[in-house]
Amino acid sequence: MNSFLTDTRIQELVQQHGTPLLVLDCNVLKEQVERLRRALPGVDFFYAVKAFPHPDIINTMDQCGVGFDLASSGEIELVRQFYVNPRNTIHTHPIKKNRDIVDSLRFGCTTFVVDNIEEMKKFYPYQSRVGLLLRVSFPNPDAIVDLSRKFGCSPDEAIELLQIAKQMGMHVKGLSFHVGSQSRNSSMHVTAIRRCQEIIYDYNRHAEMPMSMLDIGGGFPVDYCDTMPDIDTFCAPITEALRNMGDDIHIIAEPGRFLVAPAAISITAVTGKAARGGRNWYYLDDGVYGAYSGQIFDHARYPIRCLKSGPVAPSVLAGPTCDSIDIISEEIQLPQLEVGDLVIGEMMGAYTVSTATDFNSLPRCEIIVLNKPENSDKIPHIA
Amino acid sequence: MTKVWSETLYDAFGQHFNTDKVLFESKTSHQNLLIFQNAMFGRVMALDGVVQTTERDEFIYHEMLTHVPILAHGSAKSVLIVGGGDGGMLREVCRHRAVKSITQVEIDQAVIDMAKQYMPGHSQGAYDDPRLNLIIADGMEFVRNTDAKFDVIISDSTDPIGPGEILFTEGFYASCKRCLKQGGVLVTQNGVAFMQLEEVKTTAKRLAPLYKDWSFYGAAVPTYVGGIMTFAWATDNKALRATSLPVLKRRFKRAKLKTRYYNPEIHMAAFALPQYLQETLPSASKVR
Repeated sequence: MNSFLTDTRIQELVQQHGTPLLVLDCNVLKEQVERLRRALPGVDFFYAVKAFPHPDIINTMDQCGVGFDLASSGEIELVRQFYVNPRNTIHTHPIKKNRDIVDSLRFGCTTFVVDNIEEMKKFYPYQSRVGLLLRVSFPNPDAIVDLSRKFGCSPDEAIELLQIAKQMGMHVKGLSFHVGSQSRNSSMHVTAIRRCQEIIYDYNRHAEMPMSMLDIGGGFPVDYCDTMPDIDTFCAPITEALRNMGDDIHIIAEPGRFLVAPAAISITAVTGKAARGGRNWYYLDDGVYGAYSGQIFDHARYPIRCLKSGPVAPSVLAGPTCDSIDIISEEIQLPQLEVGDLVIGEMMGAYTVSTATDFNSLPRCEIIVLNKPENSDKIPHIA
Repeated sequence: MTKVWSETLYDAFGQHFNTDKVLFESKTSHQNLLIFQNAMFGRVMALDGVVQTTERDEFIYHEMLTHVPILAHGSAKSVLIVGGGDGGMLREVCRHRAVKSITQVEIDQAVIDMAKQYMPGHSQGAYDDPRLNLIIADGMEFVRNTDAKFDVIISDSTDPIGPGEILFTEGFYASCKRCLKQGGVLVTQNGVAFMQLEEVKTTAKRLAPLYKDWSFYGAAVPTYVGGIMTFAWATDNKALRATSLPVLKRRFKRAKLKTRYYNPEIHMAAFALPQYLQETLPSASKVR
């Protein structure tokens, strides 16, 4: 695990700020953007803000020329504060209130995702102003987080919807899909790209308003406790499949996890210990209601280590709330820890604090940002 | 590299402005306001990513929404402006010496303050006119509750998306009717019909049950891209729209207006609507 902080630096930060902490390194964000760009040449990225809606991440991504995938009016408000050019944003929530559409249009984001006729009807009053992406679903049993169940229409339904859109005079400018997260291989991406390509090709032969965009979603894997294929290996078949798309089709992606997961670590301290059922129980000052919430909502298992060494024993790591579900690890080999010792969670940038709660009225972890983007004198709303 | 501001009104099409100097940018409590300098259009004001007014072409819009209803009316004494925070409409109304009282209801004081400071050419001191009663309030609330009545009501709103939305509702049009003196007329900005035909259709549908005479007239305003901007026209006095050219000429002369777009011939011609527009409207508006 390539931690971006030395143990000494971790201790310094704890002395300075206390615990629990989440330390975010913006340089890692930049490296991840570059890694993904090398793996997916020609693809434009829209950072999925939901993964970690943090101001310094927004700024860093913006400075790297990454756009933004927005899914709520709150996320719109966040990027607006940082003078993100609305032309570099897409609204990707398949189900929206009219208010969400209006907020988005007033911000200047005019690309929206739909996957059914009811949703398409909501855009009728704004039809001259918007460009729609149809979200097509490709069920992926291989993914840890399968997103095809809740959203997306089948390829056949997409073809029908395209005809309905045509009759309504709606501009469908392309297709999108999201095959789910943390797949071991990209075969589902490839299948989806091929099928979308067929749909686009067939439709465009006779279309007055041809489709010109394909959004290949996200789902680019990172290493948590399990090692995943490296990003170049994972993306090579995707790049190959995209080769046939033709120059007129603008390819975009919505990475979230891949860009931010490796950029943050959690630092917690042992606040209490007990021996129960032959195991050492350590109670930490952050848990699954806090930064470790991704273990519940995102099905993630973060690599965990401590700064101490010595003979290990089967241990349990529990969070600070009163709830019995608040257990970070039931089975972890750790050396003997004392109150005040530090426990580090790696790869904790994506879907961690963004899904944290305030349960038990416990304060959330403090976020420490390293290598913050320089405060640019950017002129508002001007690219 | 020259910095560029892009209008975000449409997804598939848009206009760009070089921004030679950003003068003001803020999120007010109601909207997101930007004022910048452009070599071709002078100072440009944008709200929520959409051009509202520029120094170079604002006169077309303001003259047409003011002089057409006031001169068609012929004896307007009291005028209500809803919106119009940049002050351009007020400036044009103030030029009519025969108008005795002017009420302006603007929702956002910040727009007025910024326009006075950064686009002084719009109001040209009109906010100091003793005939003005300036009210910072929701235009809809005002027309719903006021006891005052007006000869001419001018709705100078933002787009129907955003705070201006309510000023395109049936409720607003009905309340305006209640606030009009006998023979009075309501005019509203109604968007660029070629680009947003739905707006015109919707307004027509809402005005038709309320007013004996309703229609649209138009003028091409360069930075409201896409052809003619339409203005809705609604009154119970059918004679107003039929005011003849000689009468308009006489009134125009008497008013001693110095204009750059408006003249009586333009006034007459503005009510001639292109076929693509006529065919989407119910027949009543075509009757002259």
